[in-house]
Amino acid sequence: MSEHIEYMKEKTSIDVLLNNGYTIKSITENLSGAFVEFERITGSKIHSETLHILTADARKYFSVHLINRK
Amino acid sequence: MADLSTNIAGIKSPNPFWLASAPPTNSGYQVQRAFEAGWGGAVWKTLGDPILNVSSRFAAVSFNGQKVAGFNNIELITDRPLEVNLKEIYETKKKYPNHAIIASLMVEPKQEKWHEIVKKVEEVGVDGLELNFGCPHGMAERGMGAASGQVPALVEQQTYWVKEVAKTPVIVKLTPNITDITATAEAAVNGGADAISMINTINSLAGVDIETWNTIPHVGGKGAHGGYCGPAVKPIALNMVGECARNSRIDVPISGIGGISNWQDAVEFMLMGSTSVQVCTAAMHHGFRIVEDMIDGLNHYLDRKGIASVNEIIGKSVPKYSDWGDLDLNYQIVAHINNDVCINCNKCHIACEDTSHQCIEMLTGTDGKPYLQVREEDCVGCNLCSIVCPVDGAIDMIEKPNELQPMTWNERQEAIANISYVANSTAK
Repeated sequence: MSEHIEYMKEKTSIDVLLNNGYTIKSITENLSGAFVEFERITGSKIHSETLHILTADARKYFSVHLINRK
Repeated sequence: MADLSTNIAGIKSPNPFWLASAPPTNSGYQVQRAFEAGWGGAVWKTLGDPILNVSSRFAAVSFNGQKVAGFNNIELITDRPLEVNLKEIYETKKKYPNHAIIASLMVEPKQEKWHEIVKKVEEVGVDGLELNFGCPHGMAERGMGAASGQVPALVEQQTYWVKEVAKTPVIVKLTPNITDITATAEAAVNGGADAISMINTINSLAGVDIETWNTIPHVGGKGAHGGYCGPAVKPIALNMVGECARNSRIDVPISGIGGISNWQDAVEFMLMGSTSVQVCTAAMHHGFRIVEDMIDGLNHYLDRKGIASVNEIIGKSVPKYSDWGDLDLNYQIVAHINNDVCINCNKCHIACEDTSHQCIEMLTGTDGKPYLQVREEDCVGCNLCSIVCPVDGAIDMIEKPNELQPMTWNERQEAIANISYVANSTAK
């Protein structure tokens, strides 16, 4: 399987959440890759989603978003 | 013609090319012959208590037809009395007043020993001193050379002792047989060194004879480790020069040594922070007259670049040498195969498929002929295909625009640390 195809799938998952108003709440990196917790607050309700990111390029991708969020 | 003259910590020479302290600078005859050939300076073979040498001293490592890719020696410092060397230094300096003569020194780590030899050597008119804290074999077993040079406190103390009496600039020559050469370089600076030089030779065993089981070289069936130098050590030396040059606490000039074989090597060392360069193995391999090509080549290079003085290139690459954590993770290059040049040997495909990222495909054109193509989206820009390619111009590594902005590892980790901090603060 092409690494690039894997990356594109993960990038799309990240984009879907970001486009739906989610922001990155926390990042946990360990031997298994990165676990990125996204959060969206609507009124008093908190929606949470966690992506398990495996590819190196996707780990770069969400990091750039994190830096740009400042 | 550009100005090639250099001044390292007050030691002036007509060009940056010096012979390193080694067999080529063993005697006045040799050094004068070198100056006639065009060398700008010479670091005299290390002076100290005359030693005894063994027979069978050198060995070379050849690789794929390249003779003397690396060179190993187990020769020690001078075996001639100090007075004999001093007489020849005096005569050589008198005959060549504009060339630099630097005396390499090695004595036991005792204040009175250093004071004695410094005073005697300076009396005959040397332009500077180079303290040999680098020889890895023989002398190190007696507490000198690398044995001293591996202990920062000893480097600092002995440099200080020399500076107590020295009237000429003091260069401290460092051993590469240490984890972090900047530790000993800093120690030399703290001891008052006017300059540092690197690298001395690397602990080595050139080989083992698989028929006789003797070491190479061997002395009547027995061997001992030697010091490795020559083209093979150049990348190691260049890194050490660069690490010292970019360290703000090491604020003295550097004389670069280690596998310098031609003018291009010299330029690389100077760009990485060397004010002068020292050569040994290449002169031992090809003779003193290699300096003619080195001078011509450097001159033409500077002219082509429109640079008036060689001093203008010193350290120009140092700001470009950094830590891995400060490199841009989003900078991208990819391989591009020029099929009109490619001979379809498939070496790139095999290298990529077996040992890299499996992104060079073997395809067949509409004309039925095979061709190779890089799947650019999966190419990580490792360079391996272009390294193993036997045909110049068949593979180019080209920059690929990245939609992602530049980002270093350090910046990324800082951003992640910040979000973790925010998350923890919120949770409290």
